[in-house]
Amino acid sequence: MNPAIPLANSLHRATIEALRRQAPFATMADDEVLWLVQRLSVAYYAEHGVLLEPTQAAPAALFIIKQGTVSGVTADGQAVFQLAAGEMFPLGALLAGRAAANRYVAAADTFCYLLPAADFHTLLARSTEFNDFCTRRIASLLEESQRAVQSEYALALDDEHRFARPLGGLVRRAPFSVAPATPLAEALAAMEAARIGSVVVVDDAGAPIGILTLKDVLARVTLAQVPLSTPISAVMTHAPATLPDTAPVADALVLMARQGIHHLPLVSEGRLSGVVSEKDIFALRRLSVDGITSALARTDDPARLPGLAHDIGDLAHSLLAQGMDAENLTAIISSLNDRLTERIIAFESETDRKLAGLRWCWLALGSEGRMEQTLATDQDNALIFEQANDTQREALLAFAQRVNARLDACGFPLCRGDIMAGNPQWCLSADDWQRQFTQWIDHGTPEALLHASIFFDFRPLAGDAALAFDLRAWLNRAAQKNPRFLHQMAGNALRNRPPLGVMRDFVLSGDDAHPHTLDLKLTGATPFVDAARIFALAAGSPQTNTAKRLREAAHALHIPDGELADWNRAFHFLQLLRLRHQHARLRTGQPPDNHVNPDTLNPLDRRILKEALRQARKVQARLAMDYKL
Amino acid sequence: MIWPFARRRHVSLDAASAARRDALAALAAPDLDQPLAALRWCVVDVETGGLDALHDPLLAIGAVMIEEKRIALAHSFETGLTQAQATGAANILIHGITDSAQRAGQAAHVALLDWLEFAGNVPRVAFHAGFDQTVLERDTRRQLGLRPPAPWFDAALVAPLLFPAVAPRYRHLDDWLGHFGIAVYTRHGALADAYATAELWLVLLDAAARERVTTARQLLRLLRARRWLSLH
Repeated sequence: MNPAIPLANSLHRATIEALRRQAPFATMADDEVLWLVQRLSVAYYAEHGVLLEPTQAAPAALFIIKQGTVSGVTADGQAVFQLAAGEMFPLGALLAGRAAANRYVAAADTFCYLLPAADFHTLLARSTEFNDFCTRRIASLLEESQRAVQSEYALALDDEHRFARPLGGLVRRAPFSVAPATPLAEALAAMEAARIGSVVVVDDAGAPIGILTLKDVLARVTLAQVPLSTPISAVMTHAPATLPDTAPVADALVLMARQGIHHLPLVSEGRLSGVVSEKDIFALRRLSVDGITSALARTDDPARLPGLAHDIGDLAHSLLAQGMDAENLTAIISSLNDRLTERIIAFESETDRKLAGLRWCWLALGSEGRMEQTLATDQDNALIFEQANDTQREALLAFAQRVNARLDACGFPLCRGDIMAGNPQWCLSADDWQRQFTQWIDHGTPEALLHASIFFDFRPLAGDAALAFDLRAWLNRAAQKNPRFLHQMAGNALRNRPPLGVMRDFVLSGDDAHPHTLDLKLTGATPFVDAARIFALAAGSPQTNTAKRLREAAHALHIPDGELADWNRAFHFLQLLRLRHQHARLRTGQPPDNHVNPDTLNPLDRRILKEALRQARKVQARLAMDYKL
Repeated sequence: MIWPFARRRHVSLDAASAARRDALAALAAPDLDQPLAALRWCVVDVETGGLDALHDPLLAIGAVMIEEKRIALAHSFETGLTQAQATGAANILIHGITDSAQRAGQAAHVALLDWLEFAGNVPRVAFHAGFDQTVLERDTRRQLGLRPPAPWFDAALVAPLLFPAVAPRYRHLDDWLGHFGIAVYTRHGALADAYATAELWLVLLDAAARERVTTARQLLRLLRARRWLSLH
């Protein structure tokens, strides 16, 4: 308690201390927080109780959640966001002096601090910290609209989805336009200065009436020897094709292909709102992915592979910097790493005559098996083969060890747990694998469960995939026949709780090696991965990818679409934070890891992180319900 | 009826204190037929030098005011009473009120005048209210010769009435606080316990409204019926 505030009684001091755990109160001056506390009252709302209706005129008070959870509910009755202890609402409505956009309903028994609206405005004027926090656009956006959250979560879920995005999102700068009477000299100089490939000509109302591209200049101005004093309207393309900026990207692609154009003006309410070029649309596309893929396919010199592996890393960094979402990015990293591994395996197997006539398959395990590789990846692989005598086994093992060594040279460090095909323990015949899996399933020891969590995500990468598919089919039958094993796996998965306190903030690591951090992998992403694996094994699904497993399970378990979408968004947000964190560490020459100090995140990411961890809890709750744990 | 002891035993007051006492003596009883939601409540907790309500000294009073179903943090009250002599070491361990803190408080009659001016004629709420009521009325009578007209409500009796399913398992304040997830910011502080009890009272008021108990008088009647049922 703070004895430096003489006027405060113990209740005031305790309240100041509690508020100080949250932004923006943490950084506000003592006397300002005391001023606030002495104007607060505390109210209680039982679960389902309504705190605020959108029909009420301007809200009478600011709500600060003391404990409990509050849902924002839209007019159609859909709960669109949840607020937890320490969070405030309705900031946007209070600032604008209008009715709140949503209904606020207690999602659990909730106590709130209430600050009268007049005092809220006085505090805005008194405290810069409080003012900054409340007026920052994004904070009020988050509270008022789920859409803001979604756009921060991820750009898109897949290519189809990406082409469904509105064109307006691609616009990178304010549109550059000129009047029809502008002399060519002036227009071209401005294009050169702004380094743009086209200029749009607009009328007095701002509507596009023509366009001139650099390509047009060659034919219509330079070769035609038109004087540069000519008004641009004399040489421009009249009535250019346009699209509303709300039209999907796919429409632009079709239009560009059909009309053979590379620049497309966008309009909003009849006025020019931006220009997209083909380059903008393909900036995030696979052009460089294709480049690396074909370089991998072409190269016949294994010594070039480490260089290409480095390119994969650079590409991943650049895609991340461009804002690519986690699901696409991890899938791209994984598939490029697949191509690289395939190439290494081809080099090592094609030249090895001892392998001739043998059926074998290289298995990707762990995150690689799930197509969820991040920037920090060591090797997780194994080998399966049909029958083999001792000599053949030795040849297979030697081959696997050569592949492991080459992968190591390409920047995939040897696995610390020695889970690699070159380890005789994990270079086994199909029968041996079944025996090994049976043993894990029957014993259910902590070690067996740990192994199951790595090996049961196997996926064929090179060689005879049928061996892997048969093993998968066998495993699914074996797991389904043994409910006790799935029960044990579920129990084990639930031991790993998302680090979220009941009352307030994140629960941070007390671990000396990584003080004041969250492990985004173990306690963030892993609860989703573990639950998805159990759902898939129980349903007999061949999927190994977490998002796909969850999608399949949702159908089988009758989980509503909205809930499933929340899970996947949360999982991919956690993956994205891991990628960003690893990216930042690699940039500063540190080894990538998963330990993030939440204080280093911006307030929006912190809130989304909290929500993502709450979703992790929900997935676990579902697992606990299914397995009566 | 004449109370021969009431006036004889209270200490003689200075003029200012006497004027304050006289103003308090004029308070009328509160209207218990107002809607529950509109009624003000004064939630109080006392710390004493032991568990004997008749003899152990009053050490501290903490109280908060509930208005329109909200606890106003500005209207909170906390005071310590000067003791002629510090109470036993065992009690200091429980309450954490040290010898010097006991001596540093307010004179008893001043503390009690402050308390009564804070609480006015507002209905009192406490957990195991019988104890707080006995101690406060005892010292108010001795020090000031007053009998405030405010009725007392016992959260320990109201809670089981509204949450009968869990009641058999709960006896102490901590049981109920734990059930509703209410935290106490300091152990055994009069104001901290009063505040936690006030949060509990908000929960109970909300439950009472759902049970269609609309006035304080109805609540009192229910409590009497309940006591009658459990006695017979």
